[in-house]
Order: sequence, then structure tokens, then C-alpha cells
Amino acid sequence: MGDKQAIRAGLRRLVPLAILLGMILLLVPLGHLGDIVLERRVILALLNLVAVVGLYIFMGNSGVLTFSAVGFMAIGAYTSALTTLRPMMKQTFLPDLPHWLAVLELSALSGTLLAGGVAAAVAAVVGWPLMRLSGIAAAIATLSLLIIAYIGLGNWTAVTGGQTSLMGLSTWVKLWPAALWACAAVTVAFVYQETRWALCLRATREDEVAARASGLRPVPLRLIAFVLSAFVSGVAGALYGHFLGTLRVESFYLDSTFLFLTMLVVGGKRSLTGAVVGTLAISLLTEVLRLLEVGVAVGKVNLSAPNGIGDVILAAVMLIILIFRPQGITGGREIGQVTGSSRKEIP
Amino acid sequence: MGNLLQILVDALSLGGLYALTALGIGLIFSVMRLANFAHAEFITCAAYALFALSGSPLVMSLSAAVVVAVTLAILTERVAFRPLRDADQATMLISSFAVSVFLQKVLIFAVGSRAKPVDPIPALAQTFMIGGVQIGVLKIVTILTCAVLLLALLFILKRTRYGLQMRAAAEDFTMSRLVGVRADAVIALAFLLSGILAAVVAVLYTAQTGFVQPRLGVQIVIMAFVATVIGGLGNLWGVVAGGLLVGMGSSLLQAFLPPDLRPFREAILFLGVILILLFRPNGLFPSRGLKERI
Amino acid sequence: MSTPMLSVRAVDARYGNIVALRDLSMHVATNEIVSIIGPNGAGKTTLLSAIAGLVRPTHGAITFDGQGLIGASLEDTVRRGIALVPEGRHVFAGLSVIENLRLGATIRKDTRAAEADIQRYLDQFPILRERRDGPAGLLSGGEQQMLVIVRALLSRPRLLMLDEPSLGLAPKITAQVYDIIREIRDDGVTVLLVEQNAGRALSVADRTYVLSGGEVRMTGPSAELGKDPGFEAAYFGLGRGVAD
Repeated sequence: MGDKQAIRAGLRRLVPLAILLGMILLLVPLGHLGDIVLERRVILALLNLVAVVGLYIFMGNSGVLTFSAVGFMAIGAYTSALTTLRPMMKQTFLPDLPHWLAVLELSALSGTLLAGGVAAAVAAVVGWPLMRLSGIAAAIATLSLLIIAYIGLGNWTAVTGGQTSLMGLSTWVKLWPAALWACAAVTVAFVYQETRWALCLRATREDEVAARASGLRPVPLRLIAFVLSAFVSGVAGALYGHFLGTLRVESFYLDSTFLFLTMLVVGGKRSLTGAVVGTLAISLLTEVLRLLEVGVAVGKVNLSAPNGIGDVILAAVMLIILIFRPQGITGGREIGQVTGSSRKEIP
Repeated sequence: MGNLLQILVDALSLGGLYALTALGIGLIFSVMRLANFAHAEFITCAAYALFALSGSPLVMSLSAAVVVAVTLAILTERVAFRPLRDADQATMLISSFAVSVFLQKVLIFAVGSRAKPVDPIPALAQTFMIGGVQIGVLKIVTILTCAVLLLALLFILKRTRYGLQMRAAAEDFTMSRLVGVRADAVIALAFLLSGILAAVVAVLYTAQTGFVQPRLGVQIVIMAFVATVIGGLGNLWGVVAGGLLVGMGSSLLQAFLPPDLRPFREAILFLGVILILLFRPNGLFPSRGLKERI
Repeated sequence: MSTPMLSVRAVDARYGNIVALRDLSMHVATNEIVSIIGPNGAGKTTLLSAIAGLVRPTHGAITFDGQGLIGASLEDTVRRGIALVPEGRHVFAGLSVIENLRLGATIRKDTRAAEADIQRYLDQFPILRERRDGPAGLLSGGEQQMLVIVRALLSRPRLLMLDEPSLGLAPKITAQVYDIIREIRDDGVTVLLVEQNAGRALSVADRTYVLSGGEVRMTGPSAELGKDPGFEAAYFGLGRGVAD
């Protein structure tokens, strides 16, 4: 194959990434279209994207269901909070912090990267033994991780404030930073899934026995994905913290887990495009439902849907997709992919 | 010494509730390989039925609880789980999670998320003395009810025609159909029994705690799920053992942990769960039928 | 010629993109023993699965007693009088021998007669009576094979389908199993038998089909087939397919 052809082939492989990045960057002008509420909604959707991409990196490539992603988000969120809060704040809210932590003040970027790093480190330690599990044992084990994180962080009052909200985080996550971090997450996921490790991991996803017989070892392959996934999840958690300005352990538990799982499954849990499309679709849906609940003024009357119907509809959508199109909107394919290299589900 | 007796009673009572819940989940898993998260909502809705019929005679409220739980169970199977019967395990897990969340949100939509007080069996609120120690009648009744139900289920499974068909379906679903066992009937039976177990747990649990809230079932079922997995999915005795283990473990941790570590009780418990899973991914008493055939 | 009991006409069956049966036709007449032989992957098990209802053909027709079978559920097929003993025995290993037998009689409404049948079989196979309360998984391979055949017979089938009954069994036990197959036919049950052991199959069956690559390559009375010079070629898939 000639050099020009090789370059063209390489560029063609990048097409899905380019399209996805384009989709993300389109949201920036969209966010500027309306008022501050719309802008915040768009930022939230972008942050959801980082979280769901984090979830996808492990679940999509390994095929193993995990409940622990949100736990790593919590770890990341609190790590960034504790290392970037101004020491005066820490003294007021968290008087019992160990001294070295109380005086530490990192920049926003360092805090966020550290968040990912700490989450990844924890994942490396606890993940190593867990990667042997699959199916329901893995689900229960990762659910246990989530619960341990939830209870641990929720009761470690000296370090996290326990059940009370931790306030005072610097809110630097505006529209552009959110979009850039979303692009970064998608790029990381894309680059990873094109590596040999990810390819071998997907082989074990399809048929573990055959993959093993071919000499592939699922455990180290899964661990790589698990650690990378935790890194991105940790970053997502930090971003949430620095968007909202406060942290509550409650927000990193089952409801968020279900939300991100819905986004991934509805989009199609086997492709990065699925993660992106699903997040945007469900974010849009929740926004519409929220507006419906708030109500629309028609003349002098306020028409609104009853409270709580939004959650019901969201769960119903997830169920309907699972019953009628379990492979999700994208069916496991990447957008703009060259035919012949699509990763369709095997019938 | 008296304290020890109280602790034992507490442990057995909680263990019994988790064992019954784990059994309800295990029955369905054994025939369908479906981990039914929605069992939480069977329990919660039965508890709300009790609330709705507060003040009515006991027989009425108990019947209402059973009817609600069983109807919900059979409906859920028919509408949500039957279409998914041939899906892979990951999809089934996610789906059952989705069904559970859906039912929860519907419940919140219908009755709101605030806790409501309920006292289904006021007659059992007394205590009595054994050797100078106060023991709650309710806890003893709970232990006895659990024991009776476990024995009743044992009888159904071992001695009745339908129980035999269920055990065959649990061993080898397709082969059981090839000898003529009706898949739909067996699965419906599993859900029926699950519903009954859920109703009983709802009654006993709300009697002990005194209120209902939409998350009631979820809390119990998470523990029961864990119990099911460490006990050994597909093996009903393992599942029961797992429930007893988790309930007793939780109770004993509560009793013996130093006070500042007590809030971490559940975290420690789940740590134990992870440890068990690492050494025995198929549970402590795995069912033969679960080993993958190559 | 009267309508055969079982008639398979121009059936195609596939697993995903893999074609397992290709325009396959065959039939079984009442009280015959018919065997299907061929190498691994020939589609023999798929054929039995299609008849039983485990696999749904994409084309063609299967009739039993003149009535269509395709689309009938597994449970209904048993109730129509077809019993399948799948490859690999498949006893309910955790259940006792007697429980396995009782399950064989699941579809029987005449419980007393069914119980009498069970007792009769326990007499006929003393090893089953000896182990009746023990777990079926602890029986030897040959004993398990007897158990699953008896279990299938308890549903009083008119057609008994056996998939590789001699698989993994010692020659002496295989001989016993084949004696039982002959007795089953003498009792009025029709037998359709899939075998890799061509010699055994030819010795017991009235007629034989040679399957290869999802097609019928050769068919005829067993005695003649074994002597036919084209037999080996047909077995290994060399040469044209043959319509029934």
C-alpha cells in the first residue's frame, strides 16, 4: 500500500472521532443561544457525557456490567474538592483534616487530574482481584464497591463532611471548559478502543472461552479498561463538583448510576457513538420532561405535568429500549465508520 | 449473658427476613437465570398496601398485601420479563434494574416520597421476659414465621408435582421442557411464590420499623441480593444460608463494633462480600447447573 | 403408499449465517427404526432439533400424523407424541433417579398407570431400582443413558428420537442400549436415531439416511447401504446430494 493510501486509511479511521468531537463542539454555540438556565443545562449534558464515556470505557469494551463507576466519580469529586478548596474554607468546614491536606491548595487542572489519578489508583488496587468475575458476580461485587464508597465517604466526617454538603468549591466549569473536557474524554476513549488491548478485550467480550483458548487473558485486559474508566469517572466527578460548587454523597449513588446506565444503554452500550448519542438523547429528554413538569403558560393558565412523571417516563424509555432494541440506538456501530469494520452485534 | 440472648434473637430475626427475601430472588433466578431487582418493589408495594388498609382487621390487610405483591409479581413477569427470556445475562440484569427503578418511580409519583407511619400488627408490640431479659414478641414471631415458611417452601419443592417441575427447570430448563414441563407455568409459579414471600417480609419488616417509604424494599433487597450471590445462585439452600449469614453478620457487627465504627458496619459487611466473591465467585454453595458448558 | 408418520420436506435451517440444513427431505413410517448417520457437523442434531421444536426452519414443512409441526413449542411437541433424548444424556443430575422418572411422566394424566409403568421399568432395569433414591448424576454413563431413554418412554411417545445414544459408552453397554432400542420398536414405538457410529446404526435400523453438509447424500435400506460402493464418498460429502 502506498504512503498516500496509508495516510488516507489512517485518516479514515479518525472520521468517527472527528464527527463526535464536532457534535460536542456544536453544543457550545447552542449553550449561548438562550439564558443562563439553558447554558447550565448544556454544561450538565457535557458533564454527563464525561461520566457516561467513563462508564463506557469499561462496560462497552469488556461487556461486563459494573455499578462502581459512580463510586469512582465520588472519589474523584472529593479528591479534587479537598485539594483545591482554599485552606481557610477547609479550616471552617473540615477542622479535623490532617494538616498536610488542610494547607494543600492545587490549581484547578491539577486538582482534576489528581481526581482521576486517585480514582484510577483505587481502581487498580480493588480491581485487580475483581476482574476475574463476570456476569452477576461482577455486578454484585461492583455494587458492593459502590456501597462501600457511599458509606465510607458518607461517614468519614473528618475528611468529607460526612452527610452534610461540602461547600465552597470553585466553580470554574463553564461552557468551554466542559466542552473541552468532554472532547478530551471522548478522545481518550477513542484512542484506547483503537489499541490492541481494547481489541483483545472485545474478543473476550464476544466469546470468553474462545478468546482464552487463543491465549488472551481477560484479567489484565479488563484491568486496563477498569483503571482507565475509573480515571475518566474520577475526572467527571471533579467536574461535577466544580460546576455545582457543592458536593453531597447522596448524588453519587443509585439514582445517578441508573441515569448513566440508561444513557449508555439507550445509545448503545457497545460503541463510543452510543455513549455520546445516548447521553445527548437522554439529556434532551430529561430537559423536555423537566420543562413539562414546570409547566407551560397558555394564556392565563399554567399547564404542567404532574410532579414525578418525568422519572417514570425516563425509566419507561429505558425499559422500552431494552425490550425492543436492546442494542440501543446505534446498535454497536460507530458513526462514520467504514463498512466492513463495523462492530455490529453478532445475531 | 442476657444481652447475648437479645443479640441472638435480633440476629436470627434479621437473618430470617433476609433469608426469605433471598429465597424469593433465588426462586426466580433458579428457573430463569434472572436476578430480579424488582423484588424490592414487590415488598414495597405490599407494605404500602398495609398502609392503605391501616386500621382494618389484620386478615384484610394481610390479604391485601399478599394480593398486591402476587399480582405485581405476575404482571411484571408477563409484561417486562417474558419478552426478555432469551436475552443475555447482562441485558437481563440491566432490565431487571430498570423494571425496579420504573416501579419505584411510579410509586413515588403515586404516593410521594415521604415516609408514612404504619403499624400492621399492633398486637405483637409487646415484650416478654426470659430469665430477666426482655425479648420482643415480634422478633420471635418473625423467627418462627420465617422458619415455617422455609419449611413450607421445602415441602412444596420436594413433595409436590409442581415443585418437582420447578426443580427440574432450575437444573436444566430446556430438558425440562423436552419432557413436557410447561415453561410459562413454572415461571409463573416462581413469581407467585416470590410474591407471597415478599408480602410476608413486608408485613414483618414494617411491623418492626414502623413506617413505609418508597426505598423500603431496595434496602432489604440489596442485602438479600448480596446474600444470594455469596450463598450460591441457583442453589436455594445456599441462598437461604447466604441470607442468614448476611442478616446475622449485620446484626452482630451492629452489636459488637465499637460505636465510632458502627456507621461503617455495612461497608465492612460489603467488604466481606467482596472477599467471599474473590475466593468463591460462584458463591459458597454453588449450584451445579451454573457451570458453563463449553 | 400411506402417509408416513413423520415427514420432513425441503427443510432449510440455519444458525445465524451458518446453514445447517439445506433443502432436506426425509420421512419415517410407523414402527420403523430409521437412522441418520454422517460426520460431525453434518446437521444430524439440527434435524432432530428442528423436529422437536428447538430450532425453527426457515423453509420447508415438517408434519407428524399429517399435521404441521413447525412452530409448535417444545412442550406441545411432547404432547403430540414425539419424545427427544438429546445428545449428552441430560439427566437431571441433582434430582433422584425416581424423580427423573416421574418427570418423564409429566404429561401423563393417568397417574396410576404412569406409576405402574415406572414400577415396571424399575423391574426391567434393576440398577435403576437399586439407585432409585440417589442422585441421577452419580450413575455411570450407561446407566444414565438407560435412565434417559426410560424417562422419554414414560411419556408414551409414538416417535422416540435418540441423538447419539452410544456416545461415550463402552461397546458392551452400547450393545445393551441397542437391544433396548430393538425392544422399544417391538413394543410399537417408532424410532428415529442419530448416530456417529455408522456400524451400530446400520445394524439396528431398517432404513438409513446419510447426511453430510446439511444434505441427504444417500438413503435406502440399511443392509444395502453398507454394501454400496458409493457409501464412503457419500458419508464424507463427496458427490451429489440425493432427494428423498
